[in-house]
Amino acid sequence: MGSYQHAQDNWFAAFMIGFIALAVLINIWRARAGRELYIRRIPGLDAIDEAIGRSTELGRPVTMIPGLTAFGVEAVQALTIFKYITKQIARFATPMRLLTANATVYAVAQEAIADAYNEAGRPDLYDPDSVRFLSSEQFAFASGVAGLLQRERVAANFMFGIFFAESLIFAETGNIVGAVQIAGTVSITQVPFFVAACDYTIIGDEFYATSAYISREPVLLGSMVGQDLAKIAFGSLILGGAVLSTVLGADHPIIQLLGKPGGWEPFMEWIRLKLGGG
Amino acid sequence: MFDTTQATWAAFWIIGAFVLFFALIPLLQTLPPRGRYMLIAVFTFISGLFFAAEFFLPVNEEGKNILTDPFQRLQGSLQVITALSLGLGTYGLIRLHLRNAVQRRPQWGYSLVLLIAFVTMAFFSVWNTLAEKELLGVQRTPLLERAFTLLFDYTLIQLDATMFSLIAFYIFSAAYRAFRIRSIEASILMFTAMVVMIGIVPLGKFISDSMGLPTTLTDEMRTNPFMLENILYNLRLPQIANWILNALNAPVQRAIEFGIGIGALAMAIRLWLSLERGIN
Repeated sequence: MGSYQHAQDNWFAAFMIGFIALAVLINIWRARAGRELYIRRIPGLDAIDEAIGRSTELGRPVTMIPGLTAFGVEAVQALTIFKYITKQIARFATPMRLLTANATVYAVAQEAIADAYNEAGRPDLYDPDSVRFLSSEQFAFASGVAGLLQRERVAANFMFGIFFAESLIFAETGNIVGAVQIAGTVSITQVPFFVAACDYTIIGDEFYATSAYISREPVLLGSMVGQDLAKIAFGSLILGGAVLSTVLGADHPIIQLLGKPGGWEPFMEWIRLKLGGG
Repeated sequence: MFDTTQATWAAFWIIGAFVLFFALIPLLQTLPPRGRYMLIAVFTFISGLFFAAEFFLPVNEEGKNILTDPFQRLQGSLQVITALSLGLGTYGLIRLHLRNAVQRRPQWGYSLVLLIAFVTMAFFSVWNTLAEKELLGVQRTPLLERAFTLLFDYTLIQLDATMFSLIAFYIFSAAYRAFRIRSIEASILMFTAMVVMIGIVPLGKFISDSMGLPTTLTDEMRTNPFMLENILYNLRLPQIANWILNALNAPVQRAIEFGIGIGALAMAIRLWLSLERGIN
């Protein structure tokens, strides 16, 4: 089984990428034109303000952990969420800690958190030491985070990003110190651990919906609608593919086009034969 | 060992990245915010276009197109940026703990331990690397061998293993909370988990055998799915566990993965076109 290194490996897959891009861009344009767009309620995100309120009442810090996320789309999304949380925190002068295992994320996080305090009108509250790079080693980072959660008795713990085996160490330690915990991850294998140990868990693509949900910015809301259209298209393709695969057999050129790298050539060959034969 | 071409390329990229890094910072700071934003937006768009073009352009028999080689070199240059930021991260860490120790802040002892560990590990790691690559005339000595083994093999790896093994206990306490029967959903979860856990270990086979359920799937059973033996065979605990994993769990995971893929692609498009203003 090959993989999709280039569009030529399967032009149909490349076409689908183009379709998603188009669906997203058209809906962003519609949203910018002032069209009202609906986004469903996500309880985990509604609970963010509640968790911050609890930290403020207890006078204990809030921690934000982007996990082992390298700098990429997940890190940008996680930092967008953390920036929103920091703006809320700044209003009540609640202490915060952002702990990262990636040095590039650390450098960007410092800027993002400083910006958040500026935008909240409290640049005086920003402490550069509140954003910390602990270690790029997985379990050294895990022990550093667990130690800080225990020592500072945090009241709210937000975990957004990519997590591996260390996820349960964070979530269980947070649980032990009685923190309100909200986690959001695209790491499917870690979702059960977060569901078991956290108060709220944001699963899968809800993670990418977070910034749209929080900010209600037309660009982001439009993008969400485009994503939903793409999901409907994929769902239809899966159903259609299942029916066709049952009727035509798994080796049929249409099925190869839908689901296999290199499926474009047999499909085109089949079309040529059909046209030639007809 | 590097060959000359590789070494020249490596030097070119490292020096180029340094020059770009140190030239861009003052340039960006002199620009007004709008100009800075425009510059970053244009740079991001061109970089994104390069990666997208490499994916979409047709390739030859070797699976390469005109942009594939520069693409791989560019990916290498990303490591230089990572190395630069690692320096920044380490500086931040040392500054924080040095300040903790010097100002005798609460729990400053931990900071002192960190600083001593950091310096010791860094010293022996650099020494070992120089000796390994035979650079600057550095040789292996018995002291280096002993210290390196003690610090890395007998300390670091063991500490890592200790942290990893903690997960076993955490899984136990998390599972206890998750499986407590408090609602219909929790009951279904508990029942399903029990079936899967028993089904995939030898106990599942033992229970199924004890109940007299068929142990093998014959050709006759394969051709007739509604045969009683076939139905009984599929009631074996290992078969049920497999069905739960393959017919229920895997499709749900794939559905989530589809959503994640689409979400990541949409986010990447927003970043590429500088429509995402989250951390700007």
